[in-house]
Amino acid sequence: MGETEAAISVRELVRGYGTLRVLDGLEMTVAAGSIYGLLGPSGCGKTTLLKVVLGRLIPEAGEVSVLGDSPGEKGSPVPGSAVGYSPQEIALYEDLTIAESMLFHGRLHGMPVERIRERQAWLIEFLDLPESTRQVGKLSGGQKRRVSLAVALLHEPQLLLLDEPTVGVDPELRARLWEHLRTIAEGGVSVVVTTHYIDEASKADRVGMMRNGVLLAEDSPGAVMAAQQSDSLEEAFLSLCSRDTQEVTT
Amino acid sequence: MSLNFTRVGAIAGRKFASLRRDKRMVGFIVIMPAIQILLFGIALGGTPTGLDVAVIDEGPAQLSTPVLAELNQSEPLVLHYDEASVESAREGVEQGSYWAVIHIRQDGTIELHLDNSNQQISQTIIIEVRDALTTVAEESGAQLPVEIAEPIYGDAAPAFIDFLAPGIMTMVCFMFSLILTSMAFVGERYDGTLDRVFAAGTRPVEVLLGHLLAFSTILVGQVTVVILIAVFGFDIPVNGSPLLLFAVGIFLGLAAMCMGLFVSSKAKSEFQAMQLNMPVMFPVMLLSGILWPVEALPTFIQPLSWALPSTWTAEAFRSIMVRGWGMSHSEVWIAFVFNLAFATFALLLAARSLKARE
Repeated sequence: MGETEAAISVRELVRGYGTLRVLDGLEMTVAAGSIYGLLGPSGCGKTTLLKVVLGRLIPEAGEVSVLGDSPGEKGSPVPGSAVGYSPQEIALYEDLTIAESMLFHGRLHGMPVERIRERQAWLIEFLDLPESTRQVGKLSGGQKRRVSLAVALLHEPQLLLLDEPTVGVDPELRARLWEHLRTIAEGGVSVVVTTHYIDEASKADRVGMMRNGVLLAEDSPGAVMAAQQSDSLEEAFLSLCSRDTQEVTT
Repeated sequence: MSLNFTRVGAIAGRKFASLRRDKRMVGFIVIMPAIQILLFGIALGGTPTGLDVAVIDEGPAQLSTPVLAELNQSEPLVLHYDEASVESAREGVEQGSYWAVIHIRQDGTIELHLDNSNQQISQTIIIEVRDALTTVAEESGAQLPVEIAEPIYGDAAPAFIDFLAPGIMTMVCFMFSLILTSMAFVGERYDGTLDRVFAAGTRPVEVLLGHLLAFSTILVGQVTVVILIAVFGFDIPVNGSPLLLFAVGIFLGLAAMCMGLFVSSKAKSEFQAMQLNMPVMFPVMLLSGILWPVEALPTFIQPLSWALPSTWTAEAFRSIMVRGWGMSHSEVWIAFVFNLAFATFALLLAARSLKARE
């Protein structure tokens, strides 16, 4: 795979907060038009990595290229309408209604109001959301999560960064979501999904198994399982982890 | 470095929708300044009444009778004649029964024995006695060699509230605008919503301007309420243009809101934002010539006073309300320029502090 085809390319990335080093020489490649599953326990640096990709955090060392440019630099499409981001914290204004949330984010991306309403109608149907006049703060956790997802999908970005999008979402809808991600990936959209439902990531084209600020493995789910002689991703991840721990201690 | 006004509008619209939904907020915005300005008006500047004063009259009747008749009519003083001697009356002061003893001596001079623990009260007693003497002297044809002509600006008998009101209006406009915006996006910086806004390519200045725009609608209401209460609630005359008064209030509010946005960009929690407001609010309250003239401050503090937008605004309010001045006077137009400069400076600080990239 050539450099030009990569939607995200991360080389020897170092980033932390103060003296705490969160990302420690991380390497990652996300091919354009593919689904990438980023796996790892909480606190391993997944969110920090996504924020670097978004240009929200500046790398201390290493190189990051997103959609062909360093994120956050002049002329780069990221941050901007090229990217859709659904943060782990849901990150919605609780006092707004669903329709107002859509309108707000749509307008941030410069979408015409009719287009926002069209997309909203489709997303409400697709994500099985309650009526658009409901206030976000009064929705259940799973419903909020889905509104958050709807906001990220709203402007049909070229790159989707979804941080734990399936927490509290029922299995049927989760399956439908993966199906949709597959459809848009086939249309050329690149998708990064973090999840701790490890087996869910077997539907991704490629998985990155992250621990202590680096990727322990990065390959297709099948290849990762084969390399660890495991029947599931979960098992493969466990085996990678124990090997990593042994290497650290010996 | 071009601004995207669609994004500014989106942020303003979103904030405005939140504000409209928050009933408590609206109550806070309108009722709190109203309560504050009412309390200030009621609590400050009134004349004390019901002051118990003992009278020992040993003077010649042609003097003491008219003077005591005059003092009897005085509203602040309640005269008591039941003390037999100066000594027992002084004892009454020592016991706390009286604020003072008025002793009219045989030669017609008057001696005051004061409980001087409360300056405002003893000043009132001295003024009442002096006024009574002046009235009696004038009635008998004598006159002090000083005559006060009709004042050029202000009332012949100005109420303290007339001096105070422009200052209190300044303080209330400043404080509530500051508090309003200082909480603006403290939460947003930590709940991920601002991350999302930045991920859409929004610049910090756009976030700030959006908030400023939404809060400006509240500012208009706040300044209107404050002026209406001052004018109708306390019957403070506005000799100049009410519109100009309103405009100065808006400009001060903008300066305070930008300061608040800076606080909001620094604070880690709403509690901390409130704490950060304190070192701004106290100098504004005490150094802006609001409760006491700037000219009375130590000279080394005075430059600090003139670095506060509230000092210029209080001066402009007073000039418009009492003197009836307009934009041709520097006291008025400088307030506009200074508030605008202060607002710009604070907004730039806030934009520097609110980072899209960290």
